[in-house]
Amino acid sequence: MSGVKLTNVRKSFGPLDVIKDVSLEVPKGEFGVFVGPSGCGKSTLLRMIAGLEDTTGGKIEIGGRDVTAVEPAKRGVAMVFQSYALYPHLSVAENMAFSLRLSRAPKHEREEKVREAARILQLTDHLDKKPSALSGGQRQRVAIGRAIVREPEVFLFDEPLSNLDAELRVQMRLELTRLHRQIGATMIYVTHDQVEAMTLADDIYVLKGGHVMQSGRPLSLYDDPDNRFVAGFIGSPAMNFVTGKVTGTGNGIARVACADGTLDVALQGALPGPGADIILGVRPEHLAPVEEGGLPVTVEVAEELGGSSFIHARSATGADIVFERRGQRDRLDGQSLRIAAPAENVLAFLPDGRRLR
Amino acid sequence: MAIIRNKRRHGLVALSLILPFLAIFALVFAYPLYEVVRLSFTDAPLIGEGNWIGLDNYVRLFSDRIFYISIKNNAYFVVLTVIPTTLIAMVIALAVNRLSGRWQALALVLFFTPYVLPVSVVTQIWAWMLDFQFGVLQPVFTFFTGKPVPVFKNPYWVLPSIAVVTIWWTNGFNVLLILAGLRNIPTDLYEAAALDGATRRQLFARITWPLLWPVTALVLTLQLILQLKLFDQVYLLSEGGPFNTSYVLLLMVYREAFQLNHGGYAAAISLILFLLIAVVSVLQYQLLRIGRGKDT
Ligand SMILES: Nc1ncnc2c1ncn2[C@@H]1O[C@H](COP(=O)(O)OP(=O)(O)OP(=O)(O)O)[C@@H](O)[C@H]1O
Ligand SMILES: [Mg+2]
Repeated sequence: MSGVKLTNVRKSFGPLDVIKDVSLEVPKGEFGVFVGPSGCGKSTLLRMIAGLEDTTGGKIEIGGRDVTAVEPAKRGVAMVFQSYALYPHLSVAENMAFSLRLSRAPKHEREEKVREAARILQLTDHLDKKPSALSGGQRQRVAIGRAIVREPEVFLFDEPLSNLDAELRVQMRLELTRLHRQIGATMIYVTHDQVEAMTLADDIYVLKGGHVMQSGRPLSLYDDPDNRFVAGFIGSPAMNFVTGKVTGTGNGIARVACADGTLDVALQGALPGPGADIILGVRPEHLAPVEEGGLPVTVEVAEELGGSSFIHARSATGADIVFERRGQRDRLDGQSLRIAAPAENVLAFLPDGRRLR
Repeated sequence: MAIIRNKRRHGLVALSLILPFLAIFALVFAYPLYEVVRLSFTDAPLIGEGNWIGLDNYVRLFSDRIFYISIKNNAYFVVLTVIPTTLIAMVIALAVNRLSGRWQALALVLFFTPYVLPVSVVTQIWAWMLDFQFGVLQPVFTFFTGKPVPVFKNPYWVLPSIAVVTIWWTNGFNVLLILAGLRNIPTDLYEAAALDGATRRQLFARITWPLLWPVTALVLTLQLILQLKLFDQVYLLSEGGPFNTSYVLLLMVYREAFQLNHGGYAAAISLILFLLIAVVSVLQYQLLRIGRGKDT
């Protein structure tokens, strides 16, 4: 078992810099998730770890060994592709045994490993079928089985669930978590779906434009984002943002005028002076109706989820505001009301997106 | 009730759609075929009716020495062309496939150009290149055999030379087909195999070859049919000579029908050729499919 360490890794396709100086470490045995919007370079970074793309600059280490110039098969990694990349002319068993066949492993060893992988993935009844005769979820499992059989030190997944329907996705997510517990290998998983990232990851690495914006435990990214991008990307529905100006400070609290109202934000560091531009971020679950103060909003739509509901409202300045209500069944449609959040739950960002703590 | 009427209308629409095809098919294929079969049992000249003579044409055919030479030459020519041209096309396609963008287009144009040429131009080019006295390729023969060879007048060289000309002429099309097949193989299969530890050889043997097989089978079958219909190149390069040693079935049909005015006899030969092509190509395609069935 070994971890993966990237040091100042860069990648350009001709004039296009796709990965710009990424340094990160996925400790051994952990489940690391690369997440970011489409085109941010997640797949490229994963393929560089696999050795499918060469590295323009920097160093890639797997298990302490510098593999930057090592060919894919010798890196001790296995990869599961978004398209599954199953060999269409081979049966499920042959697909899983492919790497062992190439390395001329003896027949009984091949059969044993395939049988074991098939047992873990509940594919035992399908071993003789061709991939074309399988459902999407089964194909996905075969692709994972092919990886398991190789007993790699590191598993790489590139959006493996994105071709599955929602229900199957949830199920496969659980199976992946279980698999990770069971075999304990290091796993790196790429997705653009932050829910997947939150539910699967030990550590999340948020990428944007070829940079790591922030990395850490899912809940620490959720509660304590370093910048506006991470704050907005993690969490669903997304964090609300309103721009405003500081009107007064005191006792570690800054009062901010925004959207025809005021919000207080608690800050530990130096407080910004009055008149400073600031962006406030509040998660939907921290906002609640108040009698006075806060922001005036008009309710537009309510999304009822049963146990809770998300109320979509519009502020006086036209900004979308979403807040969550639990356990109340009266409808607020069309009402004007005021909402606010406790100062310690409001985050502050500078206009350039950096967090102000 | 309504459903039944709709069904009938559905059927009528379908019929009216295939009717033009059926009519043309009957006119230009079924009817001529029927006529050939009928003619082959008569002693008709090229134009006009003849007398019913039963199986006489076939009896005569099976004791005709040139018929056996032709059959043998057709078979020999198939051996000389079908598999070699497919293999050559595959090697070229694999090489072209590794070129990038502009170079690939250029290479394709170069390999495809001969296919565009009319057969008479092709045979002129090669007749000139292989000319006994001043052919630019004669030094090659001199190098290997010690003396120039009049290839189209030599019983041993004539068919292999025509085979080379034919492969040069038609190979571009096969390259195109195989290249299309190669492009249909998803690149992530190669990436998965590379991660699985496949060497270049194994990539070809275990990914490219099996996944290309449907296209390869198609090329082989098309080539088989095409090469059994050999006529133009022989007619233009050797006229069946020397001493009838390069006769092929279609040339025989031509001679009997248009030079000797034996319409009935020519019909019998064409029918044999037709059956031969039909049986051999169906057989081959089935065999190739079974071969593929093992691992599909
Ligand atoms: N082979 C290539 N040649 C040129 N540019 C490339 C190549 N591969 C990727 N890119 C570019 O690199 C950028 C990052 O691509 P990448 O596939 O890593 O994105 P991603 O984060 O995986 O996005 P997605 O979520 O859509 O899969 C994109 O702008 C893409 O156009
Ligand atoms: Mg991607």
